[in-house]
Amino acid sequence: MKLRTELTKIWAFAARSLLVNRRNVFAVFEMFFWPGVAIFSVGLLTRFLKLDPETVTFVLIGAVAMNTIQIAQLDLSYSLLYDVWSKSLKHGFIAPINLGHVLVGAGLVGLVRGALVFVVMGLLSMWLFGMDLSRPGAGGLAFFLLGLFLNAAIIGVLVLALVLRFGHRAEVAAWAFSYLLLLLCGLYYPVSVLPPGIRELAELIPLTYFLDHFRHFYGFPLITPHALGYGFALTGLYLGVSYALLLYTLRSARRRGTLLKLSE
Amino acid sequence: MEPVIVAQGLVKSYRTGWFGARKTVLEQVDLEVPAGSIFGILGPNGAGKTTLISILTTLLIPDEGEARVLGLDVVRQAQRLRARINLAASSAHFLWCLTVEENLRFCGRLYGLSGGVLRKKVEELLHLFELSPHRRVKFENLSTGLKQRLALAKTLVNDPELLFLDEPTTGLDPIMAQHLREEILRLNRETGLTILLTTHNLREAEMLCREVAFLKDGRLLARGGIKELQAGLGLGDHLLLTFTDGPAPLDYARLPGVLAHRRDGRRLEMILDRAEVRLAPILHALEQAGAGVAEVRVKEVDLEELYREITH
Repeated sequence: MKLRTELTKIWAFAARSLLVNRRNVFAVFEMFFWPGVAIFSVGLLTRFLKLDPETVTFVLIGAVAMNTIQIAQLDLSYSLLYDVWSKSLKHGFIAPINLGHVLVGAGLVGLVRGALVFVVMGLLSMWLFGMDLSRPGAGGLAFFLLGLFLNAAIIGVLVLALVLRFGHRAEVAAWAFSYLLLLLCGLYYPVSVLPPGIRELAELIPLTYFLDHFRHFYGFPLITPHALGYGFALTGLYLGVSYALLLYTLRSARRRGTLLKLSE
Repeated sequence: MEPVIVAQGLVKSYRTGWFGARKTVLEQVDLEVPAGSIFGILGPNGAGKTTLISILTTLLIPDEGEARVLGLDVVRQAQRLRARINLAASSAHFLWCLTVEENLRFCGRLYGLSGGVLRKKVEELLHLFELSPHRRVKFENLSTGLKQRLALAKTLVNDPELLFLDEPTTGLDPIMAQHLREEILRLNRETGLTILLTTHNLREAEMLCREVAFLKDGRLLARGGIKELQAGLGLGDHLLLTFTDGPAPLDYARLPGVLAHRRDGRRLEMILDRAEVRLAPILHALEQAGAGVAEVRVKEVDLEELYREITH
């Protein structure tokens, strides 16, 4: 009975997220238009630059990763932004739910949407630009996807903390974090080309290691031995820290009256 | 019977801006609300009503003091408490793109309702608040009155033992406001649900509340029944008598229910605690004294006067 109650509370956020996505024409744009544009533009650029097939794959992996993370984290970020935009934040926080229900519920929808984007972009890359997505095998693909989703979760949780602290003003963070990853994690270039100082920063981000590990299936040397282990270790650490930060922000919001201000 | 709300020494202040000074919104507020009643918190805008209600509904953590609602501490046992209370805020806000039914379903799921239980509860609420014809209308397309009805319907989704209504009739036209007040009274009468509401509308408080507390600048100034408060402050209904030959030689101050009196020629003005109860005995006493009364006029106590007396 208790488990069913918990699952129902999680489903509340998942079902709501699905309904909003179904009614929002921009959700279709988010899932198909922008990822499609990204694959076409990046793919055609590689053709213009006459890159060899391995390098094309290197760049396309970055484009797929970027869009998958972006879509997956948006559902998490939106889970509270919906309430902020509609000034209905009180409904959620006066009910006997916790942040886990919000994160898992909205995260599940993000996971499904992110997986769809990954599949669509992967298929387009294979069909149009000859990328061989099957080379890493099922295990390699599964670990890479898991890594992408966990990175999306970290971003989503951080954005939620910012939303609870700054409300509307944090909207920009829902998009900005992913572009920061684009810059730092070597989505379109190896991190070795980053200037000193920035490179060390890249090494603090788990996505760097997941990309490193996935690309080695395509013949690129591993920059970090045990990249997958580093990636998951850092992910676990950041997930714990970001969740603690979110809990702290919620408590602080209850102290500062932010929940009320965001519902007015 | 045990009170459902016991608050002691509640203090809340906010900082204005990053480095601004702290502004005290609640100052040492003590409150007890008996079970089964409709209790009103009255006060002007900015008095601290919403802050008080937000603390009692666990949305806000007080700086000092403690409050127990339904026997549970609002800070330490907040999660357990949330399952047993509900709140309708002064303005109804729901996700704009969800329909009436979808919004109710979402709120029901937040309390763990699912399957047939959820379906039945949603149907019941749609019927109770006459929302069935609008069930598939998106929230953004509802009229203000319907939005407010949805907000009230949502508050019953978890069969709460205690309901908080924060200025429930704000923004409604007089007919809809009256309809909502009748709905609140019916809920209390038929289910015995305890309701705490905030309002700055004295007529509303008089119609709905058995007991009220006046809040101003974060301080609780007075509490009790409206009639008791009026009597305590010497406020009451006005009885204006015009005599044919001047007032009878009576000790008017000693007549039951007379709070004050003033003679002016052939006219006598009395302030009574309750005119509807005192009028007949007074007229009888005058008749016994042989006074000829040419005109009797009763003017109900001006509630604004009570408001002014207490809050200024």
